[in-house]
Amino acid sequence: MTRFLTAALVSTALSAPAFAVEPAEVVAHYADLAAAKYGDSLITAQALQGAVAALIAAPSDETLTAARDAWKAARAPYQQTEAFRFGNAVVDDWEGRVNSWPLDEGLIDYVAVGSAVNEENAQAGLNVIATPKFTLSGTEVDATTITPELISGTLHEADGIEANVASGYHAIEFLLWGQDLNGTGPGAGARPYTDFAAGDACTGGNCDRRAAYLTAATDLLVSDLTYISDAWAKDGAARALVTADPNAGLLAMLTGMGSLSYGELGGERMKLGLMLNDPEEEQDCFSDNTYNSHYYDGVGIRDVYLGRYTRVDGSEMTGPSLSDLVASKDAAVDSQLKAELDASVDALLAVKTAAEGGLAYDQMLEAGNKEGEALIMGAVDALVTQTASIERAVGALGLSKIDFEGSESLDNPNAVFQ
Amino acid sequence: MRALTLALMLIATPALADFPETVQRHILPGYQALAESTAALAAQAEKTCDVAALQPAYHAAYDAWMSVQHLRFGPVETDGRGLSILYWPDPKAMGAKAQKGLLAGDPTKLTPAAFAEQSVAARGLLSLERLLYPAEPLTADPCPLIRATATDLAATSAKVFEEWQGGFAETLITAGEVGNKVYLTRPEARQVLFTQVVTGLEFLDDQRLGRPLGDFDAPHPERAEARASGRSARNVLLSLQALRQMVETLTPDAPNTVAAFDHAIHLAETLDDPAFAGIADPGKRLKVEILQQAVDHVRELVMSELAPELDVGIGFNAADGD
Repeated sequence: MTRFLTAALVSTALSAPAFAVEPAEVVAHYADLAAAKYGDSLITAQALQGAVAALIAAPSDETLTAARDAWKAARAPYQQTEAFRFGNAVVDDWEGRVNSWPLDEGLIDYVAVGSAVNEENAQAGLNVIATPKFTLSGTEVDATTITPELISGTLHEADGIEANVASGYHAIEFLLWGQDLNGTGPGAGARPYTDFAAGDACTGGNCDRRAAYLTAATDLLVSDLTYISDAWAKDGAARALVTADPNAGLLAMLTGMGSLSYGELGGERMKLGLMLNDPEEEQDCFSDNTYNSHYYDGVGIRDVYLGRYTRVDGSEMTGPSLSDLVASKDAAVDSQLKAELDASVDALLAVKTAAEGGLAYDQMLEAGNKEGEALIMGAVDALVTQTASIERAVGALGLSKIDFEGSESLDNPNAVFQ
Repeated sequence: MRALTLALMLIATPALADFPETVQRHILPGYQALAESTAALAAQAEKTCDVAALQPAYHAAYDAWMSVQHLRFGPVETDGRGLSILYWPDPKAMGAKAQKGLLAGDPTKLTPAAFAEQSVAARGLLSLERLLYPAEPLTADPCPLIRATATDLAATSAKVFEEWQGGFAETLITAGEVGNKVYLTRPEARQVLFTQVVTGLEFLDDQRLGRPLGDFDAPHPERAEARASGRSARNVLLSLQALRQMVETLTPDAPNTVAAFDHAIHLAETLDDPAFAGIADPGKRLKVEILQQAVDHVRELVMSELAPELDVGIGFNAADGD
């Protein structure tokens, strides 16, 4: 039944003559944008890898700052990929390895007394860096040598608990910054470079193991980003998911935009944090870089629609876009959605500007901070508003989220190769 | 008022079950009952802080919430009102933590205006549950906090009902009419309501049942919702009944969906495990697993029968994301 409906809808959409550009061209360009964005994420992660090596070789304020700057630079292209995630099973299944959040960071390293509390996570205070041997789910673990395999195979999501985030950007962020103990007051995490120092200069204990963890986690990030960049290359699995059936690809594009706008960024990451007034409810909570992560998410959503991307080397990519396609079906939906996407990017930019001016994101979350609340809710409202138009774009293109629920190409990544 | 008149007129036309009837028969009465029961709870708390005298009013308010908790759009989304009525799950125990500060702290934070600014985790039904069914003796007189929490709950519920009655019901019912900027077509209204059914069932399945069930080797009865007041299973039953009723107001032509609801409701009624304590016992666990399978079956029919019947897809919703 579902398949019959899908076939009927797809044929209607394809026989319609009014497209200015063809769906196949739009999804092919979309896949090219993804390849460029994940490629840039990989390039900047390799730069981070170099900066971490320099930090470990010669710990100092300068090398620590350089590593932190490299981490922030790596976040910018990565966050612009997030709109490619929802609706693409290859990306969504992989994503948890690199961008899981929130985390019980006490799994990895020392934390402030009383902060490693999660009644649902027995490992919230494990502290692998201080503990070379321990028992996990009834199995003895030898963590004497900290390797990428130990992190990805044993520690990450240990006990099946999502808060056991051992890998990815936020694990690395925690190791570079440490816990932000300023609550909703000013200031980010303040880990001293001596946490990576040798011999008597070492602070926080186990500096060699901390250095080993940071190195292994950064190496793992690079290999994970290599995997996903390959998945978007010619003949890659993530690319095939959106190009094999162009209409399924269009739906994946719009699903990515809408799910990130509403449930994920507008809801879970922004509104919920505000409603909880909890300074740890910000995505980049150690570095106070949250405003950038949110801003680049918003830019990424808009760019999916407009079919464009500004690469880290400054070059511009443009091509056949969803916007062209929607405009040919319903010009009013297209112009409204474009205006709303601009408005959400502007609202996220206002958050970024305020944060760069000294009002950190976690300060905005403080109960009774009216200015912060207005900034965050301005962005949330804009994201919610554009979601309704994204929904209308789905309708304008004759697509339906249910018809594709049963679509093998989206549910089962291997199906398209059979 | 115009919304009500309009809705009544639509009901008067023969054999109609469509989204205006959902507003009239499901949403407005549900929010009205919530406003009334939370007002009664607040009034009772003004009279006494005796827990035995307050517990029935607490249960009545929670029951009322269960008939509308699946609605996550419109006035309940403003200012996080829905979350402030029920913040669950709360794996990091943020509610208990924030509440501890309020219990022993500055009494000026308990004025209605100041309390409404507090974290959603420190407000609502489960915050009240921690005071009415404390796991350990409380460290301070809970009476002021009980009153503040009940008053806040009543004020929030009243606002939601007022805004539905005073405008949002009309916005939804007049979907597709000239000047309606929220719902440009009638299918948009059907789709938003259908989406609430889908996400309501998903939450029931993954959270209310799924969290305590955990895995066979790692069951987590301690993660059940509202277990201190022994209403984990009742919440599942009430949620199923509410969603079934909502479906009936949307269309008369989804008989298999309704039958699947009836089967799941029967299983929930005969479960006899109020706080899901039996989940750790293989024999009793099976009954909860069978209930979960029945809910899965309802979800399948909602997709295969109800969606084509209403001619809508799943809209973007708060549960998107991870």
